[in-house]
Amino acid sequence: MAATFFGEVVKAPCRAGTEDEEEEAEGRADTPEDREVRRQLARKREVRLFRRQTRSSLEVSLLEKYPCSKFIIAVGNNAVAFLSSFVMNSGVWEEVGCAKLWNEWCRTTDTVHLSPAEAFCVFYHLKSNPSVFLCQCSCYVAEDQQYQWLEKVFGSCPKKNMQVTILTCRHVTDYKTPESTSSLHPPFLKALKTQNSKESPCCSLLEQPNIVHDLPAAVLSYCQVWKIPAILYLCYTDVMKLDLITAEAFKPVLSSRSLKGLVKNIPQSTEILKKLVATNEVQSNIYT
Amino acid sequence: MASRYDRAITVFSPDGHLFQVEYAQEAVKKGSTAVGIRGSNIVVLGVEKKSVAKLQDERTVRKICALDDHVCMAFAGLTADARVVITKARVECQSHKLTVEDPVTVEYITRFIATLKQKYTQSNGRRPFGISALIVGFDDDGIPRLYQTDPSGTYHAWKANAIGRSAKTVREFLEKNYTEDAIANDNEAIKLAIRALLEVVQSGGKNIDLAIMRRNQPLKMFSAKEIESQVIAIEKEKEEAEKKKPKKNL
Repeated sequence: MAATFFGEVVKAPCRAGTEDEEEEAEGRADTPEDREVRRQLARKREVRLFRRQTRSSLEVSLLEKYPCSKFIIAVGNNAVAFLSSFVMNSGVWEEVGCAKLWNEWCRTTDTVHLSPAEAFCVFYHLKSNPSVFLCQCSCYVAEDQQYQWLEKVFGSCPKKNMQVTILTCRHVTDYKTPESTSSLHPPFLKALKTQNSKESPCCSLLEQPNIVHDLPAAVLSYCQVWKIPAILYLCYTDVMKLDLITAEAFKPVLSSRSLKGLVKNIPQSTEILKKLVATNEVQSNIYT
Repeated sequence: MASRYDRAITVFSPDGHLFQVEYAQEAVKKGSTAVGIRGSNIVVLGVEKKSVAKLQDERTVRKICALDDHVCMAFAGLTADARVVITKARVECQSHKLTVEDPVTVEYITRFIATLKQKYTQSNGRRPFGISALIVGFDDDGIPRLYQTDPSGTYHAWKANAIGRSAKTVREFLEKNYTEDAIANDNEAIKLAIRALLEVVQSGGKNIDLAIMRRNQPLKMFSAKEIESQVIAIEKEKEEAEKKKPKKNL
């Protein structure tokens, strides 16, 4: 309680807790219905990993089932388009699994028959070198699902002898810099790596106080905790939809240790990327 | 610091910018390229055709519109804004004819459009029009005219100009290639417009729309076949010019 200048007594908010707290807690007792609703919601939001060909779930985590020396993860449509055109078109990749998950950002209400056509998270390995893994993740993995995703993919005790590379995009308005914003020329790359990563990045490191968000941050944190060498390449762009210039901004990563040897024909890949962007371009009638 | 001065159209920034107007100019750059050329006896408007969705009727996606029998314009930028400006301009053309019993001059209708655009940069609660326009036509004196307006409400007369996505590249091409010889006759002026567009248009002639206007004649839209034959003639000339080039001895 507090007194104002005019002599009224008002209830002042108190972060330490009030006498009323016990009464409120009693009122909030869980009913069985509440518990059932929460259980159903948790089931709906479960991250499931399965093989599409056999329609069977993976009993163990992906990287426990298959040995892995290199793991490249693309999060977001521009990073996915870049890997599709440059890396996946330069070799034969076999699908080893698919992550099925639902959250409020998913456009579909059907949580049972999620189609990977629109938003997907698919895992591949290179046929000629099955320890090289690739993940194309174009769906949004919510905060409560990120831990499940990591468990299902990396497992509870991951091996440390693999190199993880993550590619993702972020809007340039999130980038904090003491320089004037007119000196920024998006798209540009920034890198962030774990302590165990000895790789020298092909661009400058991400400066403080900038932070990484969502799934890429979860993967990087996981790798840092488990001492796995990992490097994240973050492309700051001013176009968040699939865009040729943004996707091409990842090109310097082709010279990095993780992607070297995986890309063969760069001019052809550039053409494939152009076609991919053109076919995915949503018809906009706003500008003529 | 732009963020504090770009919300309201009526607020100047400390260094004299009207950010909403500048942002409107950025919207223009999102539209496909349009080029206008003033010849001796002809005016030419060429535009990069926007790729149309499979199920969409191509006829409803037009960048070149007639404002009156003797004036037409091409625009780049926000489609809906262009529709509003064109409608107002067409009404003004007829109103002028009824009031003064003379058709508008190209300069008059350009000034009308520019004044309209300027009004929207000085009113609260409105945003500027996000279009630039190339207005061409012939006056009663028979002289061909080309004007360009932009979202700030300025207008200028030009010999040749480009607006839209790759306008800078096209303008540089025109600066190099617009000569008295290049516009000596009508066909040369048409070829210059197509050549300018081919600099920036992907996949050639089928993505180009062209319109011409001659003295005392209405607007003529070129068919796809006519454009294709012009493109073939241009490619042939290019090849011949390449062959004639003396080979450098190393």
